[in-house]
Amino acid sequence: MKSRRSFSAKTYAAVNYAALGLLSLLTLYPFWYEAASSFSSSRAITSGEVFLWPVEFNTDAYKRLLDDGQLLVSAKNTVLVTVVGTLLNMAMTVLAAYPLSKKRLMGRGGLLLFITFTMLFVSGMIPNFILIKTLGLMNSYWSLWLPALISTYNLFVMKSFFEGLPEEIEESASIDGANDLAILAKIILPLSKPILAALSLFYAVGWWNSYFQVLLYITRSTKQTLMVKLYQMINQVDASLLNSAGGSEGASQALLTPEAIKAAAIVLSVTPILCVYPFLQRHFVKGVLIGSVKG
Amino acid sequence: MNIRIENRGVYGMTGNVSQAGAEAAAFHPRAAERTGSVFKRRLSRDKYLYLMLVPVIGYYVVFKYAPMVGEVIAFKDYRFVDGIWGSKWVGLKHFRMLFESSDFWKILRNTLLLNVYNLVFGFPVPIVLSLMLNEVRKEWYKRTVQNLLYVPHFISWVILGGIFISLLSPSTGVVNWILRSMGIDPIYFMASTTWWPVVYTLSSIWREAGWGTILYLAAMANIDPQLYEAAKMDGASRLRQIWHITLPGIRGTMAILLILRMGQMMDVGLEQTLVLQNSAVLEVGDVISTFVYRVGLQNANYSYTTALGLFQSAIGFILVLSVNRIIKSFGEKGLW
Repeated sequence: MKSRRSFSAKTYAAVNYAALGLLSLLTLYPFWYEAASSFSSSRAITSGEVFLWPVEFNTDAYKRLLDDGQLLVSAKNTVLVTVVGTLLNMAMTVLAAYPLSKKRLMGRGGLLLFITFTMLFVSGMIPNFILIKTLGLMNSYWSLWLPALISTYNLFVMKSFFEGLPEEIEESASIDGANDLAILAKIILPLSKPILAALSLFYAVGWWNSYFQVLLYITRSTKQTLMVKLYQMINQVDASLLNSAGGSEGASQALLTPEAIKAAAIVLSVTPILCVYPFLQRHFVKGVLIGSVKG
Repeated sequence: MNIRIENRGVYGMTGNVSQAGAEAAAFHPRAAERTGSVFKRRLSRDKYLYLMLVPVIGYYVVFKYAPMVGEVIAFKDYRFVDGIWGSKWVGLKHFRMLFESSDFWKILRNTLLLNVYNLVFGFPVPIVLSLMLNEVRKEWYKRTVQNLLYVPHFISWVILGGIFISLLSPSTGVVNWILRSMGIDPIYFMASTTWWPVVYTLSSIWREAGWGTILYLAAMANIDPQLYEAAKMDGASRLRQIWHITLPGIRGTMAILLILRMGQMMDVGLEQTLVLQNSAVLEVGDVISTFVYRVGLQNANYSYTTALGLFQSAIGFILVLSVNRIIKSFGEKGLW
């Protein structure tokens, strides 16, 4: 009896482990497939020979992408948008969250209502577009940064983190005559590293990945970001595939960005995130948990 | 969740009122002026805090409230040259046009259907995944699987969409390669109105299912281990333990997340839809936001699509308010 139960428990565990392993491989396989494609010849991809490993290994796709130069420019633009955007986000989020975490602040309830309402009633795409146009921000990266200065959700996450810090530390500092700015800079922020890390990462990933706002507001090709370049590549392939109606694609082959180049571009834009991810993922998880736990 | 507005704090007030009040009373015996003085004192005490809030309030006024005012163009015939205020008022014309058009009902149906698919098929996946993960005793294995499952959450929809399109391509994609080897004719998934919603839902699950386990796993970690010990003593199998201990332990989290999802029934991820969409599947894949983008911005039907956007915002607003009430009626702390 006892051995049978332990046997069934073992099978149960083994099935569970295997299923989870399989699911993680399944989750990652699409990325692996793109990587294999990026090193394969266009011929091998079109005849459907690539499955797990590169077929007719070559690095032409990467060479062509890097020779093109446009990808490099758009990568630089993406880095600029991401770095400046994240710095602005963090500065503004701290400026908003710190005062609002002080229960003694007069008018706090009203201010919180003022801010929360913008989460409940979200204004539409067209009025926002008209605003950016009226402000003359088209083709400037400020059209991306300014409307997204604060994520209200992140603001509330940071606020509840600040509220969770012990009040005594601040009280002793204010008795020593430090003002709120000094307390924030010298005491609160150094204590808030986990939440600062988590929220910076959320903001940065958001900037790196976003493409719709760029599509709306940035039309000049020298200012495009990586994701918009990719979006155009994918759309181009998609459109010409549609024209050839699935069947005889050979004819339109010359028109479209070869699959290998598309795959290489995908690999290049995923790599930065995959490289930093293993080191940073625990901060992400912490950020989600702080956000969900009521302050 | 943490979005909540506390009542105006009384902390700090009591101490100051008596102190400032006593001082003020000597000069100004009237109550109104006494509170005025308290007001000034608190303003000056917290002047740096208010200073910090100046750019914040400016941001919300200009980039959140001004566009709300801009919604008035739904009731006007907006032209760039006339500006928002110079354009002609037309009352409910655009709303009438909208509700009479077949497009409106189509995109409303698509928006709701895609949400329903995501809810029905997408909602249980993270729960099952976290139940499986919770059964894993080897910490390193659990952590590795979690980290691998989280990856797609951090990848742009442009990339995920691009990958899906190439995986499912009728000529070069792996999926059709497998179908062909089983003797099935290739299917053009992305251009088929039958398959597109399936692809859409699967892509959502691929991106968010792993990430969605975080809150469930945290809730499971809070379950008292003694409950499992007791169940084991009684001879309960692992599956029975899941049914009688783990699932009830995450019921609250499930309820909250489910209700929150209901509050977002009018939103469909624009970036996801736009990259997966193509002209062949607009019949099932066109949703409110992509319609506003294509018809409103690209074809310059500003007022008409603003009316649609306003309709979406208004319904969304009502949904969130109702959801909050429901959460509160369950005895949970509301969203605010």
